[in-house]
Amino acid sequence: MLDVKNLRISFGKHVAVQGIDFSIEHGGSLAIVGESGSGKSISALSILGLLPKNATVEGEILFEDQNVCKMNNIQLQKLRGKKIAMVFQEPMTSLNPVFSIGEQIMETLLVHESITRSEAKQQALLALEEVGIPKNRFSSYPHEFSGGMRQRVVIAIALACTPDLLIADEPTTALDTSTSLHIIALLKRLQQDRGMGIFFITHDLCLVSSIADQICVMRSGKIVERGETSMVLSTPTHPYTVALTACVPSIYTKRKRLPTI
Amino acid sequence: MFGRWIAKYKCTSTIGVCLLVAMIAGLVWSLSENGSGRRFERTNVAVALQPPSWVTQLDNEQFSLFGTDQLGRDLFARCIVGGAISISVGVAAAFIAVLLGTLWGTIAGFCGGKTDAAMMRVVDVLYGLPAIMLVVLITVAVSGLVENWTITSPPLRELINVIALLMAIGAVSWLTVSRVIRGQVLSLRSRPSIDAAKTIGVGRIRLFTHHILPSILGTIIVYATLTVPTAILSEAFLSFLGIGIREPLPSWGNLAADGLSQLNTVHSRWWLLLCPCLMIATTLVVINYAGQQLRYKVDPKYA
Repeated sequence: MLDVKNLRISFGKHVAVQGIDFSIEHGGSLAIVGESGSGKSISALSILGLLPKNATVEGEILFEDQNVCKMNNIQLQKLRGKKIAMVFQEPMTSLNPVFSIGEQIMETLLVHESITRSEAKQQALLALEEVGIPKNRFSSYPHEFSGGMRQRVVIAIALACTPDLLIADEPTTALDTSTSLHIIALLKRLQQDRGMGIFFITHDLCLVSSIADQICVMRSGKIVERGETSMVLSTPTHPYTVALTACVPSIYTKRKRLPTI
Repeated sequence: MFGRWIAKYKCTSTIGVCLLVAMIAGLVWSLSENGSGRRFERTNVAVALQPPSWVTQLDNEQFSLFGTDQLGRDLFARCIVGGAISISVGVAAAFIAVLLGTLWGTIAGFCGGKTDAAMMRVVDVLYGLPAIMLVVLITVAVSGLVENWTITSPPLRELINVIALLMAIGAVSWLTVSRVIRGQVLSLRSRPSIDAAKTIGVGRIRLFTHHILPSILGTIIVYATLTVPTAILSEAFLSFLGIGIREPLPSWGNLAADGLSQLNTVHSRWWLLLCPCLMIATTLVVINYAGQQLRYKVDPKYA
């Protein structure tokens, strides 16, 4: 479904992403793991054509055999939200504070589908139900929700139009551990129910093992290691991956100082 | 203390509505005929310069609340009509300023880049010019033109002068509004919620009308209510200098200017200066309260 070939992204002289390849099948899930500044988020944004103006993109991003890089604004608008949706890192700020959440879920539907407001409201209520938010919160404002609930709202917005691919850019970073497990379980259930592809960006290796089948480890704009999640995590080969997995504290071994990379 | 009392009894809106009704009633009364002419312009030298009192020598009247001026005109009626003129000039000028400033600021902030730079340099240049002098130039130029035209009816001339005045005040007060609005739009544009709106496929126009505009509505309202008093003050200032609203039309500015000459070491006819000034002050306070209430209504966090 999504096929990225030799993607290079540069800002002036600085090259942020130095030629990476990856692909995601229908219903498949791919996680990109790496430290801050390794080019994960920029790669994700480039799939939606949302890079800042000073970025230059080389290579091919094929989504259902169409090159996203060569699309104009109108084609991109039809792609965003309808085919590819995105969940951001910060649910606190990615919701618009001046609209009720129901209004914001309806907006995706109203932009992409020719339906009336009452039909959109019905669908939005279904979407809310699906992410486990009671219907009577439909006209509440974002500041009336907790972080975990806001992230559910963001997911409901992303899923409203039943996209083929969901990009989740560190969706649990701003949340506490138990809430993030709920969110991951929710994403996984929705992925299985709908056969949707998930492109997952994180630096949390524990989450990766529970959601992704494939994993790419990125460092300074390159993919240093890739493969089946369980294989990569259990028998890492690249020194960076080895170091990364060694940094995860374990509850089974005796406490000792964690290694640095 | 007064503020706390108002907050306790939640009666700002009631007070405001009462004041408004009283003012409209006063306006109708002041504009109404009384024997020898409309109340605010009828002269009677016999009762000139009377201090405020409940019992008066003004013919056919029971009382003169604010006293009378040099020509024996009822100051209360003149203050009310002058207020109506001052407030309408202020509101109209503020409306022009906010409309122009919001348009300019949002377009600059939203387009960004070279458009933004060019538009803001225009604002910078205009900022450099002394505002009041510009207003003076515009009004003088227009009144000069009116003199040359073959407009013979005096009310029409007055109307054109008043319109020129409010356009001039509006044309110099939009600069601050546009800067503030542009700043707001710039900070909004970098908010993740706007990026999020883009990722769900919202187009440029919808992004503008459905995401940016509602978010800056609070700011626009606050600025509008701040601009109205400023515009009223500018009008009063110009009329005080004798450039704005001209006799025989009253305005708070020219009433105060008249009153000032009556305040000296020989005699102090204080009511002539105090009454219009008190009315300006009350109006400004009331408008600020109204702005605050509006903000509470618009901002979802207070709703």
